[in-house]
Amino acid sequence: MNERNLLDLCRTLIELARKAGADQAEAAASWERAVETHLENGAVHTVQSREETTYGLRVLVGGSQGFVTANDAEPEVFGQRVAEAIAQARVNPADAWMGLPDPEVVAAVPGLYDADVAEVGADEAARLARTMLAGIRDLDPRVRVDSGSVSAAVSMTALASTTGVAVSEAATLMDASAFGMAVDGDDVASFDYDNAVSRRRRGFEDEIAEACSRFVTKCTAGLGAAAGLSFRGPIVLSPDAVAELLLPTLVGALSADNIRKGRSPLAAHLGERVAAPLLNVWDDGRVPGGVSSSAFDREGVPTRRRALLSGGVLQTFLFNHYEARARGQGATSTGNAAGSTASLPSVGPHRLEIDPGTTAMADLVARSETAVWVGRYSGATNAVTGEFSGVVKNGFLIERGVRRPVREVLITGNVFELLQQISALSRERQDVGGTALVPAVRAENVSVTAG
Amino acid sequence: MIEALELLCEIAAQQDGFVEFRYHAKTSRSLGVDKGKVERSQIRHRKGVGVRVLTAGGWGFASTGQVDAASIKRAVQMARTAAAACASHAHSSTPGAGHQPLSSLPACTLARGIFDQPGLEEVATRSLEEKIGMATSLEAQIRGASRVIRSASCTYNEIFEDKAIVTTDGAAAAFRLVRPELRMQAVAEKDGELSTGSEAVGATGGWDCLFRSAAGEALAERAAKTAQDLLGARHAEGGRCAVILAPSIVGLLVHEAIGHTVEADFVQAGSVAAGKIGSRVASDLVTLCDSGGSEHYLGAGGTIPVDDEGVPASRTTIIKDGILVSYLHNRESAARFGVAPTGNARAWEYSDQPLIRMRNTYLEPGSRDLDEIIADTRDGYLLDGPRNGQADASGEFMFGVQEARRIRNGKLGELVRGVTISGIAFEVMQTVDAVSRDFRWDLGAGYCGKGQPAKVDAGGPYVRCRALLGGEE
Repeated sequence: MNERNLLDLCRTLIELARKAGADQAEAAASWERAVETHLENGAVHTVQSREETTYGLRVLVGGSQGFVTANDAEPEVFGQRVAEAIAQARVNPADAWMGLPDPEVVAAVPGLYDADVAEVGADEAARLARTMLAGIRDLDPRVRVDSGSVSAAVSMTALASTTGVAVSEAATLMDASAFGMAVDGDDVASFDYDNAVSRRRRGFEDEIAEACSRFVTKCTAGLGAAAGLSFRGPIVLSPDAVAELLLPTLVGALSADNIRKGRSPLAAHLGERVAAPLLNVWDDGRVPGGVSSSAFDREGVPTRRRALLSGGVLQTFLFNHYEARARGQGATSTGNAAGSTASLPSVGPHRLEIDPGTTAMADLVARSETAVWVGRYSGATNAVTGEFSGVVKNGFLIERGVRRPVREVLITGNVFELLQQISALSRERQDVGGTALVPAVRAENVSVTAG
Repeated sequence: MIEALELLCEIAAQQDGFVEFRYHAKTSRSLGVDKGKVERSQIRHRKGVGVRVLTAGGWGFASTGQVDAASIKRAVQMARTAAAACASHAHSSTPGAGHQPLSSLPACTLARGIFDQPGLEEVATRSLEEKIGMATSLEAQIRGASRVIRSASCTYNEIFEDKAIVTTDGAAAAFRLVRPELRMQAVAEKDGELSTGSEAVGATGGWDCLFRSAAGEALAERAAKTAQDLLGARHAEGGRCAVILAPSIVGLLVHEAIGHTVEADFVQAGSVAAGKIGSRVASDLVTLCDSGGSEHYLGAGGTIPVDDEGVPASRTTIIKDGILVSYLHNRESAARFGVAPTGNARAWEYSDQPLIRMRNTYLEPGSRDLDEIIADTRDGYLLDGPRNGQADASGEFMFGVQEARRIRNGKLGELVRGVTISGIAFEVMQTVDAVSRDFRWDLGAGYCGKGQPAKVDAGGPYVRCRALLGGEE
């Protein structure tokens, strides 16, 4: 398979759709070949190889949409798949905002493909996995790797439409992850997780070593956890917790589909201050070599780097083509059509970034204060209202400058209020799985309940 | 399906050593209605064959989306290469840690035959127009329920599955099943304050199974009422207290906080259930099971007749009268523990390898009336409708709760909002002091995540225990 073959597959599908009665059609296709080593219970357990071509065909008939996706990339079934999509469009009600974007100039993002990754075979993937296991065991034998994996994947994506969009991109990805916990006698600490991701093969051993070190630190920190303290006061969210608690709800509230459906408390606040003034948030689809980067989105629209919040002021919502048309008022797609070739375009971010602050992470809590450090957040967040309540994982109670691990501690509040209660950001930032680059965040006046 | 079974049997007969073949074809249809508009209507087809090989202690797995003899044989070769690579690294990777590789799988009972599940014909013959009509009318019903309802949504999904599982040591089974699901949400608003109410049902079988507990209209009414009632509701007071858990919360608790800790791969990694077989882990009112069948009544969402290693998916008692009696196994872990496999090996799609997963997990009902349990509770909460949940190797869990109703002096009082419940599962199960005679499957729309999704269900009776409630300090 190569990019040209994949684009030809898309063109064949849209041509068949047009002949079958579609007014407009868009086909997206992807091919992936991967080798992956799975770890189980501290050992190399299975080596897997896979290869698959998947496509998604979207047709518009009289303003109604039909969509079919399949992994049977064989020309003899294309006619049947096209007929299914058209039949579905004929049943679905018409929607005046349905449409496909016009072509735009798409510039490649550098560093997404590395030919060395394509050369990684079963034996090398297994060897890297063994290196990771040994790295963790050498750092601390109390840490158990329950599961994990090391994979090397080569992929291609192509998209063509009857409006003239014709784009394709090749990418590679190395991924190593470990999931497990520290066990010391009867003391079982919380599950934890870390991973290393890269578009490049070179230097990946070093990235695995760093991930092992973070993983072991997080797992062992929870040993000896005891009851916490109930109070209302400051908490510090680690970069992992920022990515778990703050970002998904904030991004959900900025997605134009939620705005249109009345599910965002930020709907009427464009251009207003919705967070503490020290908060600058970006969405970036064009980080060179970034694992969330791509030259174009799910509809072939070029990606961009875009400010979401500047000085706490809401700068923009996120749009795909449909949502921009539904919004009207001159709105255009922000290049945020999300999803795989096997799904209809939704709305979503690329890599989210929060600008760093000026305080060292270790100084976010003063010696005289009582606060909780939230290593990870495991809980429920109502995406519509922003209400959250969840358990602090890998958590510490900080009192008079002393940190001690705690368990059964809950934090409760509202994400949109928490954004206003942010009082400091660390000057260090951490990459969270390639999807976010964020500092630790201190927020005031949060309800903390200890069991 | 029969053709796939025959093809796999033919290829299996030509192989040396242990090889497992799994043909898996999935067709799903989904559609959503949002604020009166039909959105996200789509059809998805995915099929292929996954091949697993065990060679000298190493597992190799390969998959192909092409279901023909040449492609499947190529996948066998790729799986053999992968198994050889795995074997050479598996042996040297575990000095003093983990377990030693297994060179072969002991013989066990394996399924042979066709095991189709009910409902296929009925769901397939209902037209797309009818399904759109149902979702459109339920969504309109929610929006029309009250002036405070700002928006509503209703999503309908159905997944048809065809499977054939063949192993070189004797499994040769095939089945088809269908799983319909319906979800709805109401969003209410008053004076800038938002609240939501959600309902979801899912089943293995036809629409009679899907709507067994409540008709679509009743679910829509409940979603709207919850959103409306939660407007203006106060937050709960945080702290440890008596709680009566509805079957939906009991289901989530036994799945997330106990079920995962007794999956044998987690046990081997050192979960809190390790070494506890024969020990008391719950009050003697607690009997917990996991079954591939739909116990008590038909239609549970995680039903499978045979697991993805070809083992019959029978019922496993995990806790009997408060004593831990079994873990959940695949063939490999069963061999390591010296027990029979429990039929818990499951793969999400053809390109996924089978992992130890739950199916339908439930607490057996007791003998008390719910009304009597409420009347007998001086101070506490009745909790229903899980928002989501997570649990840990330590058994520490946390779930969001949609509806929390105050109980004072044996009487149900006002609704409170933003509630979460947490605790250490085995500690909470020790505090169970009342179990009702009701039974309901109530997690059929749920998916469990463990690297890959799995369709599961869970449920049970109403249960009173003590747990930590998250609220406002």
